Amino acid sequence: MAKTILSVDDSASIRQMVKLTLSGAGYDVIQANDGAEGLEKAKGAKVDMVMTDLNMPVMNGLALIKELRKLPAYQGVPILFLTTESDAGIKSEAKAAGATGWITKPFQQDQLIAVVKKVLG
Amino acid sequence: MSGGDPTDTFRQEAQELLEQLEQILLDLARTPDNPELVDSTFRALHTIKGSGSMFGFEEVAGFTHHVESAFDLVRKGKVAMTAALADIALAGKDHIRNLIERPESADAAAGQAILARLEATVGGHGAATETKATEIPAAAAPEAAKAHWHVHFRLPEHALATGTNPLLLIDELRSLGTATVTPLLDKVPPLEALVATECTIGWDIELQTEKPKSAIEDVFLFVMDEMDLRIEEIAAPKPAAAPAPAPVVAAPPKPAAKPAKTAAEVLKSGSSIRVPAERLDNLMDRVGELVIAQSRLKQIAAASQDGEFKSISEEIERLALELRDTTMGVRMVPIAQLFGRFRRLVHDLAVELGKEISLTTSGEETELDKTVIERLNDPLVHLIRNSIDHGLESPEQRQATGKSAQGHIHLSARHTGDKVLISISDDGKGLDRARIRARAEENGLVAPGAQMSDSELFQVIFQPGFSTAQAVTNLSGRGVGMDVVKRTLDALRGSIDIASTPGTGTEITLRLPLTLAIIDGLLVRVGQGRYVIPLSAVEECVELPHEEEGRASGRNFLNIRGDLVPFLRLREMFNATTPPDKYQKVVVVSANDMRVGLVVDQVIGDHQTVIKSLSKLHKGVGTFSGATILGDGTVALILEITHLVARGQRERTMKLAS
Amino acid sequence: MAIWQGKRSLEVLTLTLQGEKFALEASRVQEILDLVNVTEVPGGPAFLNGLVNVRGKVVPLADLRLKFEMAPTPPTIDTRIVVINVLLEGEMTTVGLLADKVHEVTEMPAEVLEDTPKIGMRWRPEFIRCIGKHSGDFIAVLDIDRIFDEGDRGAVAGQTNVPAQDAA
Repeated sequence: MAKTILSVDDSASIRQMVKLTLSGAGYDVIQANDGAEGLEKAKGAKVDMVMTDLNMPVMNGLALIKELRKLPAYQGVPILFLTTESDAGIKSEAKAAGATGWITKPFQQDQLIAVVKKVLG
Repeated sequence: MSGGDPTDTFRQEAQELLEQLEQILLDLARTPDNPELVDSTFRALHTIKGSGSMFGFEEVAGFTHHVESAFDLVRKGKVAMTAALADIALAGKDHIRNLIERPESADAAAGQAILARLEATVGGHGAATETKATEIPAAAAPEAAKAHWHVHFRLPEHALATGTNPLLLIDELRSLGTATVTPLLDKVPPLEALVATECTIGWDIELQTEKPKSAIEDVFLFVMDEMDLRIEEIAAPKPAAAPAPAPVVAAPPKPAAKPAKTAAEVLKSGSSIRVPAERLDNLMDRVGELVIAQSRLKQIAAASQDGEFKSISEEIERLALELRDTTMGVRMVPIAQLFGRFRRLVHDLAVELGKEISLTTSGEETELDKTVIERLNDPLVHLIRNSIDHGLESPEQRQATGKSAQGHIHLSARHTGDKVLISISDDGKGLDRARIRARAEENGLVAPGAQMSDSELFQVIFQPGFSTAQAVTNLSGRGVGMDVVKRTLDALRGSIDIASTPGTGTEITLRLPLTLAIIDGLLVRVGQGRYVIPLSAVEECVELPHEEEGRASGRNFLNIRGDLVPFLRLREMFNATTPPDKYQKVVVVSANDMRVGLVVDQVIGDHQTVIKSLSKLHKGVGTFSGATILGDGTVALILEITHLVARGQRERTMKLAS
Repeated sequence: MAIWQGKRSLEVLTLTLQGEKFALEASRVQEILDLVNVTEVPGGPAFLNGLVNVRGKVVPLADLRLKFEMAPTPPTIDTRIVVINVLLEGEMTTVGLLADKVHEVTEMPAEVLEDTPKIGMRWRPEFIRCIGKHSGDFIAVLDIDRIFDEGDRGAVAGQTNVPAQDAA
């Protein structure tokens, strides 16, 4: 079955790029503009992996990760976050919140696919 | 929006952001003591910087980085916000705008000046760090010699809860070379104390690989700092025994790029050979038979008590699946070769007809099975010819209706789920519904007065004995008619859809399954019969709540997390006579953006399904797309999901109407 | 009505359906199997209601007894599946036939073969190529291509009492 990825980012261009790249690689992609919408969509659909930016309005990525890990359906679901700096601080904070791994911005399409394959198979 | 170019979207997005930014900065200039405004400024700059480098606007990213850093200092309280700073930021914003809109005329010197002012205002706080250099790939060039490594790892108990999958880590290690994996069960508690969501297994792996140690470490990139990891080279003079967690490596944090397509990797390594297609076909047949035999083995192993037998059976299963994937991969070629041929075709036709036509393509890298590509050539040629011959108007006609003189054809291909979508769209005059309707009625294909939607009407075009071309032109009437196109697609188990707007254009979409031969299936039982549901269509399985069972033929809907999903009772549809299982299961499948639940007696499990076509004699039974042979030798039918979903929708509409 | 241009003998396989003896052209017979698991095809044509696995190939199974208006009876140890090749829309297609009993491959010399009579037959003449006398019985040689032909898929082989009524 095609795996479903939820992509949460407040930037329309990044959302578009992610959607084009991942659906071209055979995944189904659902999108959300911010953490709150992401949480809603996560609750309403069966998602195999979540990818989220950290800096977003309404609810940021860190809060989203924490909320997702509270949901029983999301135990064990890989969650990736986008980070721009090689900032060890953000990474450990996000991991403490329950994230599985990260993707460093800027990223090329094949890098994105490689990381998704790494955590999702 | 989904069809747009992300780079264009970035430009639009950036413009909007910059406009908003201007307003915020103007406000900040008046009321500098507003942390919220500072925050918003920072976020806007952060977004522009990040997206900028994603879409190739390196200068924008580099410049914005400095402004962003300045505001980072402000929001951290290290520098005070002032009207002056807001002013500089406004100038910066204008410069960014120029860099995006008119990069050729952007004034680099002006940009430098702004940065200098910035530095003067906030400098001295260790702010402006250089934009990080482009990362170098973590996996260095493979060393010539193979080295032997011993990898020992143990994940923290909670690792599974945070989405880490040790099996994927092991798979990644395997992809580096040859691996022998031994699980360590010493910390696994007895069954009663076992918690399914805890990871208590460790692993010892012997790995032979040409790749450097950093490639091995990269596998554990995300879990490095909280796990037990030892990577030692064996048979090296003095293996340095480094116990406990390895320190976070200095290598740039780019994940080891696992090759997405094995075939592509083989090609890149420089050597390839020509293989007669027939040999590949034979190979595929053998692999198909192997998969069937292996599933028979799996059945026997499941019933056996012999541990060694079971583990060998699992190993064979793993190998068979890998073999399946590899051989399938060998047959996949990018559609680029097909698209490439069409450029010449379009050019020649345009010249011949005196029309101006531009051809664009997207998704050339989309891969399809080799035989499918070959069989698509003729139908696609026909469709393109149709489009040029009948769809696109002459330059004069186009200009008369306010269009550009040059007509446009766009070919695209992409994967979605388990299908490949190929579409041909033109900006010509669209299909003439009235003429199609008239011709259809003339030929007795449609009853006069029958209600049909546009897409239904357009499907009539594919029936044999239909042609609206006034004169059979040299180009299109050559025996490859639309009915042949349809038949070719049917043989490939694909479908074709036409959408058209009069005056604006036409889009034809071909939907093809990704593989013809073997799919992942879900085996279910309805009554005494077993059936396979393509796993790619399956969304989830739920239990049929008891109160639904009582409502025979009443409201056949399930409430799944707030969504009303209609369901079909397969026992009724397939006339099951045996007594029903106590707890009926519902397999929720989706097709064409619609969901339907299929009620079955039992969900048996995953099944590698080698697809056997149904005989001609059974072609009319739309419910089934094919058959397969199960491990015990019996035949199981494969459900055609699109058909079932449509039927479910019809029955639902009928029930609602009554 | 089938005209038998009987100049040569016919090699046939004889079989029994519900006590009645029939024959098939041996050249069309691929193999004979014991009864194996039959998978039902819900929604398929009634007399072609099953599928069987013939050495890795999925083959439809026809129960001619339904075509000949015979009451189907449960299988016995003698029941066999005769796998034959049928000419359908210009292509050879593999089909299995259920037979209550399979007898032998034998030669029916030209002299014993006759044209199918137009009337007086229990079965619709279109489905019979010719009849012949063999070991004391009249055996109808089936025209399998016709039986499986599209147009007659739903039609039943038995004659109705209404005379001279052509098939639709």
